[in-house]
Amino acid sequence: MTDITSTPVIKLQNLQKKFGIGDAEAYALNGVTLDINKGEFVSIMGPSGCGKTTLLNIIGLLDRSIDGEYELNGQPVATMSRRKQAKIRSQQIGFIFQNFNLIPRLNIIENVALPLIYKGITRTKRLIMASATLRNFHLNEREYYMPHQLSGGQAQRVAIARALVNEPTIILADEPTGNLDSRSSHIIMEELSDLHKRGNTIIMVTHNPRLTTYASRIITMLDGQIDTDTKNEVIHKLEEEIKPVLSIKKRKKTIRRPRKRKK
Amino acid sequence: MHFLLINHIQNARQSLHSSRVRSLLTMLGISIGVCSVTIILALSGGINKLIETQVESLGGNIVVIRPGVDNNITDLNNIQPQQKYTTSTLTENDIKYAQNTNHVQATAPIMILSGSIKADSTAPNNSLILATTPSLLEISNLKIKDGQFLSDNINKKTAVIGGQLSINIFGTESSIGKIITIRGQQFTVIGILKRTNNPVNYNSIDFDNAVIINFSDGKGLNSGVAQIQQINIKADNVSNLNDINDKLNKAISASHKGEKDFSVLIGDQILKPTSTLFRSITGVIVAVAAISLIVGGIGIMNIMLVTVAERTREIGIRKALGATNSDISWQFLIESLAISISGGIIGYISGYIIAFFISNFLIFNPVFNWQIAVIAFVISVITGTLFGIYPAIRAAHKDPIVSLHRYN
Ligand SMILES: Nc1ncnc2c1ncn2[C@@H]1O[C@H](COP(=O)(O)OP(=O)(O)OP(=O)(O)O)[C@@H](O)[C@H]1O
Ligand SMILES: [Mg+2]
Repeated sequence: MTDITSTPVIKLQNLQKKFGIGDAEAYALNGVTLDINKGEFVSIMGPSGCGKTTLLNIIGLLDRSIDGEYELNGQPVATMSRRKQAKIRSQQIGFIFQNFNLIPRLNIIENVALPLIYKGITRTKRLIMASATLRNFHLNEREYYMPHQLSGGQAQRVAIARALVNEPTIILADEPTGNLDSRSSHIIMEELSDLHKRGNTIIMVTHNPRLTTYASRIITMLDGQIDTDTKNEVIHKLEEEIKPVLSIKKRKKTIRRPRKRKK
Repeated sequence: MHFLLINHIQNARQSLHSSRVRSLLTMLGISIGVCSVTIILALSGGINKLIETQVESLGGNIVVIRPGVDNNITDLNNIQPQQKYTTSTLTENDIKYAQNTNHVQATAPIMILSGSIKADSTAPNNSLILATTPSLLEISNLKIKDGQFLSDNINKKTAVIGGQLSINIFGTESSIGKIITIRGQQFTVIGILKRTNNPVNYNSIDFDNAVIINFSDGKGLNSGVAQIQQINIKADNVSNLNDINDKLNKAISASHKGEKDFSVLIGDQILKPTSTLFRSITGVIVAVAAISLIVGGIGIMNIMLVTVAERTREIGIRKALGATNSDISWQFLIESLAISISGGIIGYISGYIIAFFISNFLIFNPVFNWQIAVIAFVISVITGTLFGIYPAIRAAHKDPIVSLHRYN
């Protein structure tokens, strides 16, 4: 217990997730086995549609209809009540969505204060905390703007401020820098890195290989399965040995493909 | 929970504010419903209060004989203060039977005559001529302001007039000794009635605007024919009312050769004309209220379903940030309650405005009491809950994955 890095916070065993029924049935995740320890900064990469967002949703307890085992802090998720799961989301998990997901009818400070509502914090205190968090992201002048009045980069910073306001121990970030220039990306990555140093667990999906330098562990996914994992020493070593062959292959898969699809 | 409640209320206020027109239109149905209910309750409360005070002041030991069979259709006509039965089936003999019945303390016939009343100026149309006996003073609890009531000891043609009528024809309330001309015959004013401000009573006579003359003089004005609209009887004790009722029914039936062309009324039945009329009006308004509440409720349900659909993504976000299903349910339920309660408040206030406006044309004022406020509130809450619960449950059961995925 003293050695925090060796305690698995998230333990996935042969996780499967299928969408649709009958002929339309398709596996978004097909047998994911993964341990994530407390305090790790995991970066997940992979082509578009390989199941990264699906995996984050499951880890974040948003998706209950799964096959396979998922233990969070040593407790099987399947045995938890909905209420318990909501409480964990409220107190331990911070979500940064792929597309900001700010609530359009609420202003910036209210958006950031949102997670605190479900933690049972009073309005005044909520606004003070939200304001403080926004200041970290240099957005305190925009507190009373509406989401549609922000640039994409500002909106993403607000979304991140909201994910961090309730001081979660697990941060799930789906392309947090997807829409930002390199300077803004840098601010956000520094913030995440800082959270990592303070002992929080961070799982970040990204398409940008350069950002993986902040991570302590890199996982690549392919077709609903884990393709490579830097933690897996054997594979890691193997990778080192046959670097030329693999790296070309990987690059094709991880970088070229998504570009093709997005166009 | 308590804390979240405040939060949901803040949220609802904000939400209603941001779509004002939509919210107001949605409230309309509930407002009309609650408005109708408020009008009914305020006015019927007013009339009940009026009648109650009368029954109380009578001591409850009154029996009334009216011509004809008492049925609801004729009762509707009784709202007019000066009801006139074209031909009465009651006779002077009936008065005698009444007087001779056991436990009867006093009897007074009511004979309403049409015709002009003149003095310094002519009396307005709403004035009426009432011929009766001195006992009416006691039975109907009339109060004399000046002078005296009719008396058997004075056989000169005398009259007692209502305060308002005195002002109308003499320009003053002190008109004792003055001469008044009724249907061309002259009468001396010997008494002025104290104002009652109370035209709705079991006699259906507005005493403030009446001139009261002796029964025999009344017959004289009516070519010697007694035209009795009603016979008022005072019993010596409330417990003897049923007894009197039975005896009178038998005696008068016999004298009318078994024809049931009269009715004997005791207790609450005496007040029935007014309450029957009111019941039929109330029936109509209750129907309006019920329909508008249902329509209003469906409106709320409709708008809430639209709101839930519009906020699908918001629901997903809130769940991701830690909201439980019941948090989401409450959020939407309180929003629909906010609509229905706001609508209810608007309806309650406009209901009173309309009730006061209507009461300008009536002889009583609407009542204010906490019960009506509570009823209006409860109706709003029930409608809001009943029609808000389904959208709220639907909102809570939205799958966050699907909700968040929608706009990706
Ligand atoms: N709600 C859903 N219903 C049906 N299929 C879904 C749903 N959500 C995701 N999928 C499918 O699951 C697969 C994985 O989707 P996911 O969103 O996890 O991809 P991703 O790796 O996050 O892609 P990207 O990098 O483009 O965000 C896709 O094939 C997608 O079509
Ligand atoms: Mg994704």
